[in-house]
Amino acid sequence: MKTTGVIFFPAFDWAISPTHPEREERLLYTRDQLFEEGIMDMPGVTEYHPRLATEKDVSRVHFCVPDIESRVTTAHMVSAGCALVMADAFMNKEVRNAFAIIRPPGHHAMTVVHGNRGFCDINNEAVMVEYLRRTYGVKRLAIVDTDVHHGDGTQEIFWHDPDVLFISFHQDGRTLYPGSGFVEEMGGPLAYGTTINIPMAPKTTDEGIHYIMDNLVMPILDEFKPEIVINSAGQDNHYSDPLANMSFTAQGYAVLNQKLKPDIAVLEGGYSIETALPYVNMGIIMAMAGIDFSNLQEPDYDPSRFKESSRNRAYIKSLVEHQLAAFRGREAVVDKHRKEGREFWGSSRSIFYDTEYLQEEQRLDLRMCPTCCGFRRISSGCAHRSGRNYSVECIAIPAACCPDCVSRGLEEYSSLKKKKSGDHIYLQDRVNDDYRTFESKAGEETVV
Amino acid sequence: MNDALIGIDVGGTYTDGVLFSDGSVVHSVKHRTDEDDLEGTLLLILDDLLAHRRAKDVRRIVLSTTLVTNLLATGRGERTALILLPGKGLPNSAYDISPDTYFLKGWIDFRGRQIEAPDPKEIEDTLKKIHASGIERIAIAGKFSNRNDSHEKMLKKTAESLYPHMDVCTSNEISGRLNFPRRAVTCYYTAMTVRDWNRFADDMEAAIRARAPHCELHILKADGGTTTLAASRKRPCETVFSGPAASTMGTLALSREELNAVSIDIGGTTSDISLLIEGQPLYASRGALIAGHLTHVSSFAVSSIPLGGDSAVYTTDGKLEIGPMRLGPAACFGGEVPTVTDAFNIMNALGLGNAQASHAALSRVAQGLQVPLDSLCRSIAGEVVERLAQSIKDMFRLWEDEPAYKVWEVVHKREFHLHQVIGIGAAAPAVVPMLAERMKVPHFLHRLSPVANALGAAVARPTLAVEVHVDTGRETYSGSPGGLSGKVDKRNYQLKDARELAQACLKQVCADRGLADYADDAQIYSEEQFNVIRGWEQEGKLFDIGIQISPGFIREFKGVEN
Repeated sequence: MKTTGVIFFPAFDWAISPTHPEREERLLYTRDQLFEEGIMDMPGVTEYHPRLATEKDVSRVHFCVPDIESRVTTAHMVSAGCALVMADAFMNKEVRNAFAIIRPPGHHAMTVVHGNRGFCDINNEAVMVEYLRRTYGVKRLAIVDTDVHHGDGTQEIFWHDPDVLFISFHQDGRTLYPGSGFVEEMGGPLAYGTTINIPMAPKTTDEGIHYIMDNLVMPILDEFKPEIVINSAGQDNHYSDPLANMSFTAQGYAVLNQKLKPDIAVLEGGYSIETALPYVNMGIIMAMAGIDFSNLQEPDYDPSRFKESSRNRAYIKSLVEHQLAAFRGREAVVDKHRKEGREFWGSSRSIFYDTEYLQEEQRLDLRMCPTCCGFRRISSGCAHRSGRNYSVECIAIPAACCPDCVSRGLEEYSSLKKKKSGDHIYLQDRVNDDYRTFESKAGEETVV
Repeated sequence: MNDALIGIDVGGTYTDGVLFSDGSVVHSVKHRTDEDDLEGTLLLILDDLLAHRRAKDVRRIVLSTTLVTNLLATGRGERTALILLPGKGLPNSAYDISPDTYFLKGWIDFRGRQIEAPDPKEIEDTLKKIHASGIERIAIAGKFSNRNDSHEKMLKKTAESLYPHMDVCTSNEISGRLNFPRRAVTCYYTAMTVRDWNRFADDMEAAIRARAPHCELHILKADGGTTTLAASRKRPCETVFSGPAASTMGTLALSREELNAVSIDIGGTTSDISLLIEGQPLYASRGALIAGHLTHVSSFAVSSIPLGGDSAVYTTDGKLEIGPMRLGPAACFGGEVPTVTDAFNIMNALGLGNAQASHAALSRVAQGLQVPLDSLCRSIAGEVVERLAQSIKDMFRLWEDEPAYKVWEVVHKREFHLHQVIGIGAAAPAVVPMLAERMKVPHFLHRLSPVANALGAAVARPTLAVEVHVDTGRETYSGSPGGLSGKVDKRNYQLKDARELAQACLKQVCADRGLADYADDAQIYSEEQFNVIRGWEQEGKLFDIGIQISPGFIREFKGVEN
């Protein structure tokens, strides 16, 4: 019988700061609950040992400024490594599905990393996705972000990637960090419609979320036909979460996973460490392992406590219809963009790093390739906490790029090096699995 | 001078005994074990040993017996009811432990807070049902009873007052560790065997007192340590699997070096492998597996491979096969079929038994395969060594790949660097030198290795582990074993206070169990400290401290000459 793989990495010796929500205590009661229940001893569950992600694993996704070592804590390297352990266990068919109960989280980390955003240094799911592609040749994947906060990092990383379907349902960005994830955010010009956002009103209940699951998420997944489904499994939609305002329950989370049937789930946020996490984590393991979870509930659970309002019901219904139509019309939009015949598609924006109060200014240019998803050039500037101001150039060549985009991307990197524009010039060539950093001042290039 | 030590290890086939005094084994004996009369076997051995030393010179007798192991493994334990208070969580169907299981109200959470109280009426009705079905043994286990034992205690009190003739056992008395199913199973097995064990203990105590009235009487436990016979009466489960523990302690006693070593006990049909890490035996991380269930009994990690000195050598379809079955002793010892021992006997000219017979038996196999005899022996030996080496490496990996919960543990990943292969058991001298060569380390064989198990029992010191959980926010502590609990002062409570508390608890338990002399040998082996933050304020602290007297040797033991 194939089991559910579980890796439990609570990082009991790591915190952002002593009283920060992302502190040693966060998974302590989850540990107590999981161990006391003895769920790791059950025949349907296998526990795994963590490992460190390598710099190469991280470089496939991120441009860390100035480098990985100074930007990413060891705890984050272990956390990402745990996701990779689960990916290996799943791909090697040791387990039928896998759940990484890990901290620190990752879904707010974007492509360029100047510091910690929303408790995240690097994006655990994205690192895992690129690892799955490189190591096992997986092409099409779906990430369903069930955290209460919009998974803006994951969205940004796969914004231009038509082979990764990113669906995020979360509390409306007008009422919660990070203030994004609105309906009209649908993906880049060549990957339109593979980003789907479902902003929910505060206080939305199990009923509302399950309506969305049944009528939007599952139909879209059926049509997209991903090889692997990943649950970016935040647990802060729970009614007791101190940082958010939703009304989801442990039962609701278990049923969600029973429906979604994720191949791999990765813990994201969730800060109700006594009332929610111990029970929600149990619920997810039980659902994934096919163990009857009808006897699971929080100590203060009261089934009559949360009722969906008719107003919210109507809102969700219209939201679902709108997004389903938008998803189904995506190919026409991408076609239209391609036919515009532009050489590059450019955009500029500011990115705020809440943990460290940094402000990054970024310009992105995507090659509007007639055949593939195009390579990207990112120019980024940010004053770090150290006082130093970094201005960097990054070339990103996705694995699905055509030979023309690869050679143009490499040419661009060479010419940037020659011009020495920016303090650091980075190359992320996923086609050749080649990752480089050029330091302009020293004129030195390092290969990861 | 009362310096003599006696160790007796009851094995499945043979029972071994040694009399140890002044740094040497004065006498050793071996008898076939009579499974139906363990007491008889034990006394036979004891009397044989006592014939070589005056009883008043014997300071301590340690017994390692298979009584409880056999009761549990063969399902001969008496019918026992299991009352569970699981609260919410896994479905009741997850607890497939006893055919007489009762699920009752009562829910406690991980901080030891009561969520739902037990129902007195339901308790009385359940006890009535149990009584009506003729059951006289009850095990009671509640989820998180290690953090708050009030529900278990209340049930026990009710049961004892209503049905004083029943044996009632609660899980928090047995273990204070997390893992409710393991606690429930361990408690269930304890309730099931406690009466039989006490009967045996009564008989042994009487028999030994009659022979040596002043000597200490200890029982060897699965963790390689001893406990007094009196203390074992409440915890018979700790005596399971003491045989492999005796062997491992014996190897340690003979080698006496704090090395990373493999101890391999090569018997007739199986080889038992255990690891020593800087001289400390490796424990089974998930507790002893008894009759299909994981328990909270600490035992050594032993990997048993179906390959031994008597494993038969034969051919099927023109292919060489080795084991796993035994078809009698080696040809050199009068067997009909060639074995692993025969191959090593020829190859290394060991001169075991009738070497001619080894020759003749293996020549027939060689002819069948059309290979020269010496190359056949080399392939057999090579295959045996390879299989053992592989199993040893698997054990290293198992240890290296234990789950880790701290960044530090992942960065400093464990790696097993082997220093030595220690061989015991009848076939060890034949196989172990070549195995050690294959693993590129020296080997160690001792002339006393055939009685290493009994020697291990004779010289092992008592062990004891105490674990304390302190919750300053709730101003409580609780601990194992046996319902340690009390109040702590919230103000300015520090790690050192928690350590001192653990030490005090250990001293107390040592005193209760007649082990006061050993309390100073205890060391802290695990420590956790968490700040409890609510809002942005510190509300309290949580500490988990583990302190133990680890497996080792009694002070007067200074080694044995080889």
